[in-house]
Amino acid sequence: MSVSLQAEAIDVATEYARLVGDAPGAAVATFTGYVRDHTDQQAVTELALEHYPEMAQKVLDELGHSAAERFQLSQWRIVHRYGALGVSETIVWVGAVADHRGEAISACEFMMDSLKTDAPFWKREQRLTGEQWVASRDSDTARRARWQSVEVE
Amino acid sequence: MSITIKLFSALREALGESEFELDLVGMEPASSELDVAAIKAMLSKRGAAWRDALNQPNVVHALNHKVVFTDALVSEGDELAFFPPMTGG
Repeated sequence: MSVSLQAEAIDVATEYARLVGDAPGAAVATFTGYVRDHTDQQAVTELALEHYPEMAQKVLDELGHSAAERFQLSQWRIVHRYGALGVSETIVWVGAVADHRGEAISACEFMMDSLKTDAPFWKREQRLTGEQWVASRDSDTARRARWQSVEVE
Repeated sequence: MSITIKLFSALREALGESEFELDLVGMEPASSELDVAAIKAMLSKRGAAWRDALNQPNVVHALNHKVVFTDALVSEGDELAFFPPMTGG
């Protein structure tokens, strides 16, 4: 039940082992995001990730607790990197432990969809044509909105 | 009365500042009635770059680490951040 903001690479095996611990429960789901090597058919060679540390910590803490309550998680973890990242490096990792697969998988999707639009990180890509801030995507906003419409019901 | 202003990402880059204290003593309206919109108006007087950057339609305002609308009231010691839509994950 914790958040890590870190410059170093994410050790996925260690994170998984810590999440599961001695009591794996019945269902464990995780998601790992990697730096992509292209955007809109343009090659990306490096990524710089700026963040607002105090707010990122607060938003991700709240997001994890919200996921735990919503999907009855016995354990969760969110790890997000900042700083300079190379192509194919890990950038984000979320994990959820629940009694059933549906809750565990949905919790990971909910945490990822929410952090994309709500957590204060900004990507700046180094492309062959120069550096560029990554624009927010309507598709990310739409994915986030799906969870809000469910909340209202 | 003063508050802390923080700028991130393209706004930080466009305005060349990341963090500073903004003194609100003697400002109109009275300090007790200042909201985010009033702070934006105040900062916009710093020049065209500030006016243009802060008044883009998609600028996000976070008051004490929480996203707010422009009618949120600002108090002594608050931290007010401006930034573009977030693109993490």
